[in-house]
Amino acid sequence: MKYKVAKRLDLHGVPCPMNFVKTKVALFGLECGDLLEVILDEGEAIINVPRSLKDEGHKIIKVEKLEETFRVIVEHG
Amino acid sequence: MAKQGVDNAEMKKIGMIQQKQKEYFALRLRVVGGDLNPDQFRKVAEIAEIYGDGNIHITTRQGIEIHNVYYTKLEKAKDELQTVGIRMGACGPRVRIVVACPGDKTCRWGSIETKGMAARIDEKYFGSETPHKFKFSVTGCPHNCAKASENDIGIMGGILPKWQEEGCIDCNLCVNICPTQAISCENGRYCLDEQKCINCSICTASCPTNSWEIEKKGYIVLIGGTMGKIPRLASRLTGIVENQDDLMRYIDAAFSYYKQHGRKKERFGHMIDRIGLEKTKGDILNEI
Ligand code: SF4
Ligand code: SF4
Ligand code: SF4
Repeated sequence: MKYKVAKRLDLHGVPCPMNFVKTKVALFGLECGDLLEVILDEGEAIINVPRSLKDEGHKIIKVEKLEETFRVIVEHG
Repeated sequence: MAKQGVDNAEMKKIGMIQQKQKEYFALRLRVVGGDLNPDQFRKVAEIAEIYGDGNIHITTRQGIEIHNVYYTKLEKAKDELQTVGIRMGACGPRVRIVVACPGDKTCRWGSIETKGMAARIDEKYFGSETPHKFKFSVTGCPHNCAKASENDIGIMGGILPKWQEEGCIDCNLCVNICPTQAISCENGRYCLDEQKCINCSICTASCPTNSWEIEKKGYIVLIGGTMGKIPRLASRLTGIVENQDDLMRYIDAAFSYYKQHGRKKERFGHMIDRIGLEKTKGDILNEI
């Protein structure tokens, strides 16, 4: 994936809802339109975090399946 | 009420269940969908203290039981509960208390209103005699918190999603979060496999551009679920039924079919296994 990301965050092994909280904190330091790359676990994490981000007005741009995780690109809303 | 004259089968009809300590009974209350108001809660506490030994038991099906009530005090306890609108539950071969999850009133996943639905079912069927015990559950969505698939008839909220090319940014989130891999993508076009879709609304709730839209929303009827000694998960009788009156017709057809064909002490699901699922479904749907 060729995206110009402003920040990277590896949340492999971080359970709900801490993964969302950490994502939120990371986005807090960014500006509107900036991209954040997050690694999220399969299962609960990939279902819950993107939905919560949507509720907060951020936008998922791309999701790529890795081994047991996903690489997710989020645009600050 | 003389102890000698106690007819246990009759007592069960009105939610009074003899304990192993034969002079003592458990009072099972008719709590629909697990909801009581503060007055009712206070009254339950009061009755348990005055007429029982203070023990209040929450059942696995959202019900409340007041335990250890001496047989001479049953009538008075029942009458007092009635003053705050609490009616007695049921036991034995009949329709039991209807359980329900919170549904769309408070849960972000809810696809249907569950409490009113449970009340409507309770009003119509509670206490009706059946070949064996009969349990209803209403659950707001396929997350299935109220375990619709463990009930003789389960009502489950759900949606049918539809993909709109316009707006889709090809992020691939939907393909990766659908719990049943019902969504696939070919050359930027996203397809739904309706056979695999469990109507959970995860795609419509999560898509960043709302390209998955809700095409249909309503009730799914499940039949023949039971736990107990021989567990069996319920089978789907219908797809999404949009209208509540139509839903009641499906419920009625399924319920009548069981009353007619179920053998004594045979649960709905076991009757279905004996007759065959396809035949049972066909017969029921034919009645609509
Ligand atoms: S079944 Fe669905 S609507 Fe009901 S509580 Fe669970 S998630 Fe919420
Ligand atoms: S989640 Fe929405 S925007 Fe992303 S690929 Fe699926 S339909 Fe398109
Ligand atoms: S409703 Fe649920 S099961 Fe159906 S396609 Fe969407 S995510 Fe998959």
